[in-house]
Amino acid sequence: MLISFSICSTMLHDLLQGTDTGGLFIIQDSGSCSGRRLLWSFIKAALNRTEAVHVLSFEVSEDELKDGLKGSPIERLHFHNAYSDPLAWTGSATFTVDQFCVEKVTKLIKQTSQVKTAILAIDSLSWILRHISPSAVCKTLQQLKNGGCVANVIGLLHSDMHSRGTVGSLCHLATSLITVKAVLRGDQAMITKRLKSGKVLQGEEVFTIKDDLTVIGQGKPSRSEPQEQMCISNMADPTANLTFNLRLSESQREAKEKLALPFVFSKEKKAALLHTGSGRIVYEPDANDDYDQEDPDDDLDV
Amino acid sequence: MFAELNSILNVSPEHFSTGEFVLLSDRQSDASFLLHHFLGFYLRAGCQVCFVALAQSFSHYSAVSQRLGVNLSQAKEKGQLVFLEGLQESLSILNPHDARTGSEAMDFLRNPGAGLQCLFQFVSSSVDHSRGAEDGGRGPPVLLVDDLSMLLSLGVGVDAVLDFSHYCRTAICSQLKGNVVMLLRCDGEDDDDDDVGSDDGSERLLRGLTHQCSLALHVQSLPTGYCRDIHGQVSSQVVQRQAGGQQRKMTFHFKVHDKGASFFAPGTSSAVL
Amino acid sequence: MAASVNDTCKQSVERTSLNPTSFQKKTRNKLLSIPGTRLSVQNGQLLVSTGVTSLDYVLGGGLAVGTVLLIEEDRYDSYTRMILKYFLAEGVVCQHELFIAAAQDHPNDIFQELPDPILDDVVMHKPADQPRLSSEPHGNLDAMKIAWRYQNLPKVQSGLASSSRFGHYYDVSKTMEPEIRQAAKCHHFYLPEHPRQSSATRSPVLDSYAALLKSIEEVIRREGFSVAAPLTKSRNILRIGLHSLGSPLWGDDLCCQDNPKHSHALTTFLYGLRALLRSSLSVAVVTVPSHLIQSRSLRGSITRLCDNAIALESFKGSERETGPLCKDYHGLLHVRQVPHLNCLTSQLPDHKDLAFKLKRKQFSIERLHLPPDLSETVSRVSRADAAGAAALASACDSGNKHLDF
Repeated sequence: MLISFSICSTMLHDLLQGTDTGGLFIIQDSGSCSGRRLLWSFIKAALNRTEAVHVLSFEVSEDELKDGLKGSPIERLHFHNAYSDPLAWTGSATFTVDQFCVEKVTKLIKQTSQVKTAILAIDSLSWILRHISPSAVCKTLQQLKNGGCVANVIGLLHSDMHSRGTVGSLCHLATSLITVKAVLRGDQAMITKRLKSGKVLQGEEVFTIKDDLTVIGQGKPSRSEPQEQMCISNMADPTANLTFNLRLSESQREAKEKLALPFVFSKEKKAALLHTGSGRIVYEPDANDDYDQEDPDDDLDV
Repeated sequence: MFAELNSILNVSPEHFSTGEFVLLSDRQSDASFLLHHFLGFYLRAGCQVCFVALAQSFSHYSAVSQRLGVNLSQAKEKGQLVFLEGLQESLSILNPHDARTGSEAMDFLRNPGAGLQCLFQFVSSSVDHSRGAEDGGRGPPVLLVDDLSMLLSLGVGVDAVLDFSHYCRTAICSQLKGNVVMLLRCDGEDDDDDDVGSDDGSERLLRGLTHQCSLALHVQSLPTGYCRDIHGQVSSQVVQRQAGGQQRKMTFHFKVHDKGASFFAPGTSSAVL
Repeated sequence: MAASVNDTCKQSVERTSLNPTSFQKKTRNKLLSIPGTRLSVQNGQLLVSTGVTSLDYVLGGGLAVGTVLLIEEDRYDSYTRMILKYFLAEGVVCQHELFIAAAQDHPNDIFQELPDPILDDVVMHKPADQPRLSSEPHGNLDAMKIAWRYQNLPKVQSGLASSSRFGHYYDVSKTMEPEIRQAAKCHHFYLPEHPRQSSATRSPVLDSYAALLKSIEEVIRREGFSVAAPLTKSRNILRIGLHSLGSPLWGDDLCCQDNPKHSHALTTFLYGLRALLRSSLSVAVVTVPSHLIQSRSLRGSITRLCDNAIALESFKGSERETGPLCKDYHGLLHVRQVPHLNCLTSQLPDHKDLAFKLKRKQFSIERLHLPPDLSETVSRVSRADAAGAAALASACDSGNKHLDF
């Protein structure tokens, strides 16, 4: 594990180190490939670095999150439950979606932890965008990013739920943007990182996430790979109950390979045919060759 | 209940996972046979079932379930099944008479833009009430909805339906450790070239629900055309939240009979082999 | 089949006292004796004829009682109107009650244009004939010489009352005799006659549709079509014909605008209509000018809210008018939806490409056959036309076998 870490130090791993501050990371996913586990990997990496993590969760319950983060030091994880009652329908609301503004979120964070290097993870931004206008969400995210109460903000966005303009506006604010897509070998991430100097780094890599949320890079994506996962059907094998034999035994396979095919020449014969050689053709006609077509019997007096 | 589908999904009435949100969807096909499967499955498993039936009348479901070997009237009398018949309840609102008052579950018809809070309250109260009344011999609570596209046809917005399904998931899957099964019918082909957000219909709802669900079964017609022996194909997508990470996808073909449905791998239909 | 039917029969007895909605047809004798109906071979439902025998076959035997048939209108509303008239004429012949609603023409005009039924027997039950026959059997001018054994048998059957055949044929060149028409009970709903009411209990549906729904419900309740009504008198079927719903004359902007304000008015009305029909012994045929509706998803949801749905596409005025198909057929018929009620499967016709032709005595629907290509030069052009006509939607719903009559 460690060996692969140091050899291919990829952009994804760099981001996971979380060395920059004042950043907004957005993970874009779609229905066919969920980015939630990647978000959890970020949370786990932050916990391992002894940073405090505040999770504002609209889409997963606390149990589910803690279950997924099993094995990580979760003492520094502060879960803010916006999942049970985000619209105040049942009266047990701890955080409603209307409270998503910079003052209330800052208050929420300051209440529970005083550590400076805190990370705020939002799951998911799409939920908030359904109820709050995109411009208000963008403003809040920008203020949180620069506010100072959290070092970094990470958000999950379902890009297929919103119009291109909305998704574009939110991604415009992001310092790092990771778009995940499903491919055969694993998940493919397209990363765009905007440095403070103005330079933009871009990269594409394929990765898988293990059970304990470590990210394993699988290298660069190959161009010829089919973009979608193949349909796997692990049901009855149609070649199972046939009346004829489709398989070859070892001796049969050897015999098959030994068989000399017609019209395939041996090496010597090929060489002989290809050999141009110095042969001349000498033609010495004799009496029988003098064949006159107009006078086959040779009895014309010419 | 279809035995073949149980083996494909690796479940049985005695042994199934809880906290699941199953999304049944179809496009130019009819996935309601899957809903009947789940209805029979959970009743046989002894669960407390709440069925929000907006599409058809009680006698339709009862007749079909009878062919599959499940007696809905008996389940209703025993209290195992709470049945909301949307058609009947809606009449009192669509055709107001002073004498008649229906249940408040369909109150959203009066003002479809306001949301489905009343419907959710009906669901949660019926699930809580029955759990309190019984001596706890029942299995986990299950909610079935047929179907969500009716709600869209009645003027409810996509966001309101997504909120409703979110709350159902919160209340039933997370708090009560039960299951939720919802049917959504889409129409036409999905236009990927159009601006995604402007399509305020069933496609957007399908995408939103796909993010929320743990198992998605999508029924569509065969891409090669109409066939009498194979009625269509089902693609199932399992979202693995815990272990594994990747989402597994499977495709198989099906044929619906009078008393059930048979499922087989593509290309292995008995009509072909 | 018999066992399940008996079971449901028993259950429905209990159910009618507890729960008025019961869609499964009860097979008590009282209901079987409703003229013009029969039980479906497939699932024991009560079926009525649409008036067009070939359409009955396409729909799987007939229209199930309690369902809605949606007909998407052809461009000039000529053939759709014809089918609506067939439907109502069938109701007159079978002695069902009628309910006609329209916003464009007065329902009475539609009622007077119903085609004349072709009956094998002598139609008119002239009361003068009867006593003459019985009193003078032998001195009759019509005494038979050769078939004299038959001369005492009644010559005139009692006309419409014993017309127990399912599905009749109509002659469209003639209109129905006024005497036959008057025998039928018909309720009218003409929208301009119903002023906008602002009652205390406002329905969320559009005003015109709300008034229509209310009117239908009143008729059902008053005339005893509701399933929950006491079974003191013999039952009958109510045939509801709704002409051109969704058109601007109903106050709906569904067809006029790309983003209609009342986009859900028609669908909500159809939902209420379905609720009413499921709890009563009635059938409805609704025509909608869907070629004017721009939004495909709206057309899809309208189709899904009706149980049966067909679309007529006439060749008149379209680019296919000069094609080879126009000689043999008047247009194409698309079956958009066939319901599966009380069972898992539905019966779709085997072939998806159907074409219709309106003949004088029959509205025939047949499988589309391209005429043979007899000429060299025309073939390339006509093949393109014909290919376009035959390339119908390849979508399939679940469906399996034929229905054998």
